[in-house]
Amino acid sequence: MAGTETSPSGVPLYDLRLEPEDVRAVMEVLESGWLTLGPRTHEFEAAFASHLGVRHAVAVSSCTAALHLAYLAAGVGPGDEVIVPSLTFAATAAAVIYCGGTPVFADILGPHDFGLDPDDVERRIGPRTKAVCAVHFAGYPAAVDRLRALCDAHGLALIEDAAHAPSADFEGRKLGAWGRAGAFSFFSNKILSCGEGGLLATDDDDVAALARSLRSHGMISGTRSGQTGETDSYDVVGLGFNYRLDEPRSALLLSRLARLGPEIERRRELTRAYRGKLAGMPHVLIPYGDAGVGRSSCYVMPILVDDDGRRDSVRRRLRDEHGIQTSVLYPAVHEFTTYRSRFGEQRLPHSERVARTEITIPLFAHLDEATQDRVVCALDEVLAG
Amino acid sequence: MSASVPATGVMITASDRRAVAECLEGGWLTMGPRTQRFEAALSEWTGTPHAVAVSSATAALHLACRALDLGPGDEVVVPALTFVATANAPRYTGARPVLCDVESPERPNLSAAGVERCLSPHTRAVIAVHFYGYPADLGPLRELCDARGIVLVEDAAQAIGAEVEPGRYAGTVGALGCLSFFSENQLCTGEGGAVLTADADHAARVRSLRSHAMTSGTWDRHTGNEASYDVVDVGYNFRLDEPRAALGLARLSRLHDDIERRRAAVGRYRGALAGTPGLALMWTDNDVARSSHFAFPVLFESGEARRRVRDALTDRGIQTIRYPALHAFTEFAPLAAPGSLPAAEAAADRHFALPLSSHEDDDSVERVVGAVRDALRQG
Repeated sequence: MAGTETSPSGVPLYDLRLEPEDVRAVMEVLESGWLTLGPRTHEFEAAFASHLGVRHAVAVSSCTAALHLAYLAAGVGPGDEVIVPSLTFAATAAAVIYCGGTPVFADILGPHDFGLDPDDVERRIGPRTKAVCAVHFAGYPAAVDRLRALCDAHGLALIEDAAHAPSADFEGRKLGAWGRAGAFSFFSNKILSCGEGGLLATDDDDVAALARSLRSHGMISGTRSGQTGETDSYDVVGLGFNYRLDEPRSALLLSRLARLGPEIERRRELTRAYRGKLAGMPHVLIPYGDAGVGRSSCYVMPILVDDDGRRDSVRRRLRDEHGIQTSVLYPAVHEFTTYRSRFGEQRLPHSERVARTEITIPLFAHLDEATQDRVVCALDEVLAG
Repeated sequence: MSASVPATGVMITASDRRAVAECLEGGWLTMGPRTQRFEAALSEWTGTPHAVAVSSATAALHLACRALDLGPGDEVVVPALTFVATANAPRYTGARPVLCDVESPERPNLSAAGVERCLSPHTRAVIAVHFYGYPADLGPLRELCDARGIVLVEDAAQAIGAEVEPGRYAGTVGALGCLSFFSENQLCTGEGGAVLTADADHAARVRSLRSHAMTSGTWDRHTGNEASYDVVDVGYNFRLDEPRAALGLARLSRLHDDIERRRAAVGRYRGALAGTPGLALMWTDNDVARSSHFAFPVLFESGEARRRVRDALTDRGIQTIRYPALHAFTEFAPLAAPGSLPAAEAAADRHFALPLSSHEDDDSVERVVGAVRDALRQG
């Protein structure tokens, strides 16, 4: 089994399997010898934009890069504040700091829903607030309708961190298409992955133009046109970066995007099966509801144990006694050393509770029922003991 | 009309492709054994204790500036003729780049005398660029920096494998050296780069900041070494992934040969173009022996002549490369007035680089030389 070099008999947290057609797509790019900013990136961007139903998709080097460009496009600069959840990967907050801004952490709704609490967001809006970033945890929609209305009422930009949610929707509109910009991740453990990669989606022409320029050093023309004798015609405007995605990765994503629908459908089936098998198990709380599964991209399967003192020992025993790999999504960002020292101590009770009790159990498209049963039995045994 | 001659070209061999295919089939795509092996191989190939693979040379320069704790109020001397990333890297940290003139149009690298004129009490670092792969004269630069307590960083994005000092490769003399594996480069992975350093603390800092300053990585957690992590600084996602590391590793084994072939093509160009009226060769034969030859730039009598010849080549399908001086761009115009950096401006205005790759054949060199001569004669 792929990706399990150290635990051949164990159950990995996630397990990536590429199809021969995916490998072939990358090999074709390599044979062509054209490796950067070429036709595959354009093609992938067009396909992803159409998949989301947005005007623009700008492929970049990571979701972190996409968030950075999204905040810059929202006008975030020194002294500005962006309201973000703490129960997220650190990049959601770090990208605010890249802009010279300050991340202001808001709490989540609770143990049943890890989305940002719009009421708590509203309480934290101040004169320096420029934007709000909603994370669609595990692919379940944050309250984007309420957050969007709140942002509109206060003249703020809504940014969506849709790293977990490449094909999830809310009220018929894809996640990542609700705000000023949506940031996607193609990191190796994501649903649609290429290794390192990301993308910024937007309906706003100006946001797209800025992201396109700043992803490649603020240059107004790219390598390809630069090689057709037009190299004197380019200018550099703004402080740009190298946030480009290269052609082999675009080709891989383009190949895999074609199977994204069935892949997510399979994840939903597995999630429903987990929910059924875990229902009524003592000492465990399963966030979200059965009805939410059908619109989630089901990136991961989070569960909560009822006693925060036991979480780490449960994880250790799952690993040591049953060979089952788990993860924690996430340690709370506001409790990390660098955030505590920069922004001081603060309390976010729901986020902290989830950060101390959450266990992410294995979920990937080719997980089979026997393995799921093994995970559930192991969990039952460990929790009972 | 005959086929066009691209400015550069990448030949990915069957064994390169196999290395990438094996990685994809294995299903582990980030921060794994291939990246570790690529870093170890780079370290050995360049003869420097630490090599950290990153997402680009821009990222490498950024991390080098972070490793030096540069920030607001600090100044960093950079050549006025280079790719924009050299000057942007200090800006990412809040530091200010100071544009420095180059030695001469024929030798557009930093000189110690030029750098000395740019120093101030705020100068913290100098970024020497080995432009087009030709080594900057690091001995005097290092002496100057050492005497003033300033750190020397090498932007070796275009110069992997160049011999910058006897027995020392580009990127291994400064406190930190930055490499590019962009698709046009001698060693390419698509997008990619690396930081070289002999300093264990710098290496640890760069390694931490390239992956969000997390105290453990995905691979550690996958292999059961770490249960969770802390975040101890504001880091980035500047990681290189496994397929690119596999490609870089496969190609590194042929890098000496690739550079030799580039050098041989440059030798043929120089032999054929020497003494051509209206055209001057840049750098010296000795520099050619030490350069790793990112591209082959030549100098014309005037900007007008350069434009005319370049247009003529473009019409014949021959692609070229040219770098404007940084202060010619809107973004850097506030940093230096036109006319204030005459050697960099003259080099920028009067040069362009002829097609060069590791598989440039005699025919294409001959065609390009013929086209240059024709264009000069028609002037």
